[in-house]
Amino acid sequence: MAKMHTKKMFIRALNKKFGKDFDLASQKTEYKRLGPEQSARKREFMEYSRKLEGKRGVSFYNPYVHAGGIPLGQRQLVPYKLSGTEYIVEGDDLHFVNNPAMQQMWDDIRRTIVVGLDMAHEVLEKRLGKEVTPETINNYLEILNHAMPGAAVVQEHMVETHPGLVDDCNVRIFTGDDDLADEIDPQYLVDINKLFPADQAEQLKAAIGKTTWQAIHIPTIVVRSCDGGTTSRWSAMQLGMTFIDAYNMAAGEAAVADLAYAAKHAAVLQMSDMLPARRARGPNNPGGLSFGFLSDMVQTSRTAPADPTKVALNVVAAGAMLYDQIWLGSYMSGGVGFTQYATAAYTNDVLDDFCYYGADYFVDKFGGFAKAPATLDMVKDVATEVTLYGMEQYEEFPTLLEDHFGGSQRASVLAAAAGISCAMASGNSQAGLAGWYLSMLLHKEGWGRLGFFGYDLQDQCGPTNVFSYQSDEGNPDELRGANYPNYAMNVGHQGEYAGIASSAHAARGDAFALNPLIKVTFANPGLVFTWDDVRGAFGKGGAREFRAAGDRALVMPAL
Amino acid sequence: MAYTPQFYPGNTSVGINRRKHMSGNIEKLRDVPEADVVTIMGHRAPGADYPSTHPPLKEIGEPKCPVRELVAPTSGAATGDRVRYNQFADSMYFAPSIPYWRSYWAAINCRGCDPGTLSGRQIIEARERDLEAYTKKLMDSEMTDVALCSMRGCTVHGHSLRLEENGMMFDMLARTEMGKDGNIYYVKDQVGIPLDKKANVGKPMSEAEAKKRTTIFRVDGVAFGGKTGARKFDEALEALHHMWEYRSKWGFRPE
Repeated sequence: MAKMHTKKMFIRALNKKFGKDFDLASQKTEYKRLGPEQSARKREFMEYSRKLEGKRGVSFYNPYVHAGGIPLGQRQLVPYKLSGTEYIVEGDDLHFVNNPAMQQMWDDIRRTIVVGLDMAHEVLEKRLGKEVTPETINNYLEILNHAMPGAAVVQEHMVETHPGLVDDCNVRIFTGDDDLADEIDPQYLVDINKLFPADQAEQLKAAIGKTTWQAIHIPTIVVRSCDGGTTSRWSAMQLGMTFIDAYNMAAGEAAVADLAYAAKHAAVLQMSDMLPARRARGPNNPGGLSFGFLSDMVQTSRTAPADPTKVALNVVAAGAMLYDQIWLGSYMSGGVGFTQYATAAYTNDVLDDFCYYGADYFVDKFGGFAKAPATLDMVKDVATEVTLYGMEQYEEFPTLLEDHFGGSQRASVLAAAAGISCAMASGNSQAGLAGWYLSMLLHKEGWGRLGFFGYDLQDQCGPTNVFSYQSDEGNPDELRGANYPNYAMNVGHQGEYAGIASSAHAARGDAFALNPLIKVTFANPGLVFTWDDVRGAFGKGGAREFRAAGDRALVMPAL
Repeated sequence: MAYTPQFYPGNTSVGINRRKHMSGNIEKLRDVPEADVVTIMGHRAPGADYPSTHPPLKEIGEPKCPVRELVAPTSGAATGDRVRYNQFADSMYFAPSIPYWRSYWAAINCRGCDPGTLSGRQIIEARERDLEAYTKKLMDSEMTDVALCSMRGCTVHGHSLRLEENGMMFDMLARTEMGKDGNIYYVKDQVGIPLDKKANVGKPMSEAEAKKRTTIFRVDGVAFGGKTGARKFDEALEALHHMWEYRSKWGFRPE
């Protein structure tokens, strides 16, 4: 019954990677040991290195110092197809240093802050007796879009930032109050009714109610010089100055302190929590980003609501890049290895195939998305079927196994497929987590191997924290995050956990997974990264077609 | 009645082989000379003294301790040997052993060792002379096929790759080669340093022999859960379901 659904979406990618004449089923091959010269990108690296070495005055990139003179490329160096897209890029193009779209995705998060307007309006109206109307709000927003990028208001003889360096900065507002939204100048509005499907718009407006919020995106170049902790400070200063200007206040009157307090603390929603001192990061850094928030940042649920699997796959891609490649791979660990690991989840249509297989399986069995009971029996059934299907693909297609050459890659992909399938079947993210852990155990038992030392630890003890709500042992998946106990050190998990959270809600037809304010804020068309097409953006970045913000070329001599 | 450990469920060849590895009751298939084992490990030259990190325990004068009185030190610990390692990679194409079963074998059967398990390699650390004995036992036994397993301290890449045309597991550093006589020779030690003299470790298993002795479940061998569209769960899978369910429930209500 289930066999009819095996689409084997990865075969096209394998053909492109290995060349269409290779034997898909063969367990043997000739290793030509052609070295780094077989890769266009490695050739480019060597050429640049030669060019720059004299200028640097010190030795540089040389793949022949690797492993006692045996360079990379003893096996075929294969390119990567971005899943769900037509982009084929070199592996190197998916390291965030080489991929401006990946950098921009993270920049867009850390430069964002959501600040409520209602508290400030109450101060103006109740304490100062000033009138707040749609007209005054529009005027305020015009001033704010001048000031927020780093321009002066109120004060004389101030330095300002060059508009050409900060043009990605913008502030728009949103509200659940259609009457107010109608009165706001459209250029300043994140229009929920236009950007979201009607049923999602109704859910969002009901959740937001009559409150009004500012989606603030400070200049990319600022957070690239400072960090995410800067965002609330930068925005609060410009908000305060703008209120003074827009509402003709005295610069030093006591009410300004209330406005500043609202802008810095009381009405602020950071994108992520501050981390404990041992991890030494402020708010708005990736370590404190919850899986629910990341699910809401990704906008595929808005533009492809009929395809919950696609929603989850885009969230997985965003999380694999941010949590694995940037957070764990760079902030926490350093080095370059994490990219190789993370790409398995968003390249070559492998996870896509496993997840769509799972979706077909549970739709056949339970009659649709979010129709299955959230029980251990259901999880046992769906997670086992999806995991065994995936393992079988690796066994039947040796180049697929070769493509995911590390056990941790395979474990992430298999468990993500199992978890996402269980979450979509039941509309319950905790059922998804349970499926993830069962998949890990099945994988280990079947092949006698799983990931690496620490990786295996969290997956073998994981089932016990799925349903525990005691202290820090358990939490709904949406509220777990990169700093959750036991999740804080292991690559290949966090993006997938976020995918599980998003998939449960996408399957239910929810407009958001955890926070409606985040969902609407990242619908702002003024963002640089394409939040509804994460994998396409990564492909564009790898293909050198993506234009990121924060460029300094304008104020430097030409190369 | 004396307790007999059961070790592992299932009556397939994979289940039986897994039980054998865990029990330590493994068949000896070859006799690799001790000097060659030591050379391939690469930690000391054959015949050289064992470097030590402390004087023999008898000379140290250990404190009075009931545990020390109860547990006799291994010979490597007693003489103060340093701790060294062996690390093996096993091909997923029917190598006889698999990382977790190497670790189970070591943890159950080898005293004073620290096994570490990864997906593409498995490491055992122990006092040097103890480790050499454990390594020889592994290399001589049915847990090793010389084409599908190799000792690799670093650059282990190969366990999941297609095999070479001659049936050997891929090795970027080409530490082993197949001779014209059909035997496998180590030409480099486990970290890739060339050997002065090749070490012959014997002939590879046939594909049928490897499939008979393997501990990995695969659809083209002994299937773990049947095939897509025709599921049939091995007893090991059913036991695992039981364990997962109890772990999950215990987490919910740990009393």
